[in-house]
Amino acid sequence: MNNISRRDALRVGGLSVFGAAFLAACGKQSGVVESANILSEGVVPPTTALPAGIVTDVVLLRTAASLEYNAIDTYNAVLEGGLLTGNYAKLTDAVKRFRDDHQAHADAVNQLVVALGGKAHTCANDRMNRLYIDPAMKLVTEKGNPDTSRDIIALVHAMENIGVQTYQGFVATLTSPALRADAMRIASNEARHAVVLAQVLNGGYASVGPTNNETTGKPNIASVPAAFGSLSTVLLSVGTPNADNLKPTLTFETPSLNGLIYDFVDCQ
Amino acid sequence: MTTAQARLPRSTPPAQPTDADKQLLLFSQGVELAARDLYKKALESAKYSDDEVAMLTMFGEHHNTYAQAMNGLIGKVATNKRNDALYSTHVGQLASAQSAYAALQALENTVAATNTDILGQLRGLDAARILASIITTEARMAAVFGTLPAMSLTSALNSSANSLAPKIAQASEATTETTVSE
Repeated sequence: MNNISRRDALRVGGLSVFGAAFLAACGKQSGVVESANILSEGVVPPTTALPAGIVTDVVLLRTAASLEYNAIDTYNAVLEGGLLTGNYAKLTDAVKRFRDDHQAHADAVNQLVVALGGKAHTCANDRMNRLYIDPAMKLVTEKGNPDTSRDIIALVHAMENIGVQTYQGFVATLTSPALRADAMRIASNEARHAVVLAQVLNGGYASVGPTNNETTGKPNIASVPAAFGSLSTVLLSVGTPNADNLKPTLTFETPSLNGLIYDFVDCQ
Repeated sequence: MTTAQARLPRSTPPAQPTDADKQLLLFSQGVELAARDLYKKALESAKYSDDEVAMLTMFGEHHNTYAQAMNGLIGKVATNKRNDALYSTHVGQLASAQSAYAALQALENTVAATNTDILGQLRGLDAARILASIITTEARMAAVFGTLPAMSLTSALNSSANSLAPKIAQASEATTETTVSE
């Protein structure tokens, strides 16, 4: 037989009544309209899920096309902004040729995209602009920079190298051998652009291979920097020099997973 | 399906070279060794400045490095023999610096085109990665001869070189690729 006193029974009964009232207060109430803006304990507000970012051949090629448009836009800015002055003005024809080459690359890549069932991408990679190109352009064109023309050539040289590295890096991910070869045909042409620009920035036989700046110890721009094509970061020193005559250095990288042009990314 | 899973194609390419890949890489090795020997011959055949010698020596060493990289990929299949047809095509043009530079540029353009063609047939990813990194440098070396001693944009950027690569059929996909289960 249980030994529960009358007092114990009343205590348990009181707790039960209080618990039921508390739970009722936490739950839905009649006559009250639910709102997603008012958080309630135990209720998760609805969210809009991001589309799944699936890396396919089409996504890689659309990303490559976007980088071609970054280059086209930058070369157009060089031409339209009159950024080549003095001796550098002689490079105007070369800049036009490079821009036209990138347009041809973009068209060729987009043809592959469409052939694979994807949607052509005909604008620049916004993330590459925000992270690298816009800040570099700001430094290059700032008042007081004594080397605007030289620096803009250094910027497009860095972009050509990033283009080469992007295609080279995609070889490991593209599923079709034929696409890998197509990517490297374009990369080869951009590597040639880089050599021409490297010779403008640091010309002569002695500068073809890798050398270092005697003052800073940093690597000089080289036409053939290494035996194998690098996939590492690209350093760019541009802008107004500081008191030690050193320019700000930016680090460029190839597009990461959140810089790819997925199927759901459109030009705005 | 997670993104990581989605990155994998339905059939994952093998990392190691297939038998057909090895034959293609063997051909590439012969081409690289011919290039190495042509640079050596060029340095013996004409007079160059110290800076030119350093550059030509570096280019020749790069080709030797590529041939050694092929050894690592193809193992016992390696013969380490140069492609004599390619060597013969250019060896007679190395007597002066001017003709040698034109010949070496044509050589670099041919080697780059050949390796790009081979890349388009390779199934193994290890070899594809290495070959891609070689192709960009060979294109750069070809372009250098268009910029030095005098800049010629057309010469630096244009290449009409034909590939020398043979066409070698791969074995059927089922025997060389691993299907990824879902």
